[in-house]
Amino acid sequence: MRIPSLLATVAFVLLIVGGNVAAADVVAVVSSASAITELSKAQVSEIFLGRVSRFPNGALAVPIDQAEGSQARDEFYFAYTGKSPAQLKAHWAKIVFTGRGQPPKSAPNSSEIRRLLAANPQAIGYLERSAVDGSVRVLER
Amino acid sequence: MLRIIAQRAQRRAICSLVAAMLGSPLAYAADEPGASMLSLSAFGTLGIVHSSEDRADFTSDLFKPNGAGYTHAWSPDVDSRIGAQIIANFTPQLSGMVQAISEQNYDGSFTPHVEWANLKYQFTPDASVRFGRIVLPNFLFSQSRNVAYTNPWVRPPRELYSLVPVDSSDGGDFSYTLHSGRVNQTWVGTYGVTNSKKPNGGTGNTRRLWSISDTIESGSLTAHLSYQQGNLTLSKLHTLFGAFRRFGAQGDALADTYDPFNRRLTFFGAGAMYDPGSWFLIGEWGTTDFHSVLGKNTAWYASSGYRLAKLTPYLTYGQLRATSDRSDPGLNVSSLPPALSGPAFGLNAALNSILGSMADQKTVSIGTRWDVLKDVDLKVQYDHTRLSAGSPGTLINLQPGFQTGGTVNLFSIAIDFVW
Repeated sequence: MRIPSLLATVAFVLLIVGGNVAAADVVAVVSSASAITELSKAQVSEIFLGRVSRFPNGALAVPIDQAEGSQARDEFYFAYTGKSPAQLKAHWAKIVFTGRGQPPKSAPNSSEIRRLLAANPQAIGYLERSAVDGSVRVLER
Repeated sequence: MLRIIAQRAQRRAICSLVAAMLGSPLAYAADEPGASMLSLSAFGTLGIVHSSEDRADFTSDLFKPNGAGYTHAWSPDVDSRIGAQIIANFTPQLSGMVQAISEQNYDGSFTPHVEWANLKYQFTPDASVRFGRIVLPNFLFSQSRNVAYTNPWVRPPRELYSLVPVDSSDGGDFSYTLHSGRVNQTWVGTYGVTNSKKPNGGTGNTRRLWSISDTIESGSLTAHLSYQQGNLTLSKLHTLFGAFRRFGAQGDALADTYDPFNRRLTFFGAGAMYDPGSWFLIGEWGTTDFHSVLGKNTAWYASSGYRLAKLTPYLTYGQLRATSDRSDPGLNVSSLPPALSGPAFGLNAALNSILGSMADQKTVSIGTRWDVLKDVDLKVQYDHTRLSAGSPGTLINLQPGFQTGGTVNLFSIAIDFVW
């Protein structure tokens, strides 16, 4: 009885992990005019969680979020930071209610994000891979 | 008198800060999307607590007059509160914040009080200074303890969080963040004073209060170290020890040992949290020395939880120990004239009742958080507390018939939100 239930648990965990890898088709992007060519997932995560405010080259980083509740946003944070929407909310509430900062600004949709990235070489965002075009550079290492 | 003037000046400063923020032109909109001059936010908790001990009250804060057990079988006063905050960004560097909270006050009222009110100047993204009212960063969850949505539990473990009264300090702080590789280290220094009113009708004031803390973040790991010291005066107890001083040299000696009048309080704390997303492990330890009748105390807790979709069940163990003597022979009654022996007995009894009531206890807690809706959680928690022999633990309002050294079971339900 024990071994089958253990196997079932392992299978369930693999399913969750596998499912997340498959779902993580959201990529971090900057303007194609940006000086930033690559960033690790950890570096992107630190910028979006507000722990780091500069790119490795010293330039100020301006993160832009997708709309709250959007699938791209939830997938991005899960894949890059391991945080659920509720955990992310708690993370920022802790910062906001101690006067230490504000969450990134958000844009309503992918085309607006591309527009903001094009307008500001210091901006960094994330897009579903299908929304990537020549105006942005995918940061993958 | 000076204190009243200082308090008035403080209140005036806070009022003008609020007025400045409300009255400042909204036209100062930054060019980024959604960037706003003013941002409003709110948080709250609606909770009820039941205690198995009906001859004493359980409460969540040293400043609350009563709670669950004796005063209310089911108390809404332990955890319920509502808070609102306004942040004004005057320039990219200069901002101000005011946070007011309505919760059960020392006198039982729910009149809102100002928890935070300060002006911040951000020199660089990694360096800032704030002037005004701030909350001291003693523990990992001290500054955000009121925003229960941000915590895994119904409330931070009482064992550790009752060690020092977590309080607002009027003064300021500086913060500096260092980045090296994947490690971010934030140093915070604070300086100020605290003024609080106690449920017993007295006041508690801390002068020359400073602290330094270091928060180290690396990936899923957060570590926190803090040191704090100040000069504490508790008015009610100071009055009691004034009576000791009427008994000559031996009375003076006792008062010099115990009188919490301008007495150095020191606190050292260390904690760490590992939270990779699907589970968490948190441990914190702290020790205080009040250099007075409040003695020395050491506490720690460990807590772990596992996230299953929207449910996060957790288990916590906490321990609080009084490490200084819990009794004293007091005044030598036989050396006194018979007329003074009655009052001396009374004073000795009062001294020993304070020393004996030092909190010493252990708690096992089990509970779960449920993320019900966006921005709303519901938590259910069961605590089993064992009071050490002779100690009432952190319970207050002890009634005739209360037995020290027993066990207490608590059941809590709370709904938390942020907005």
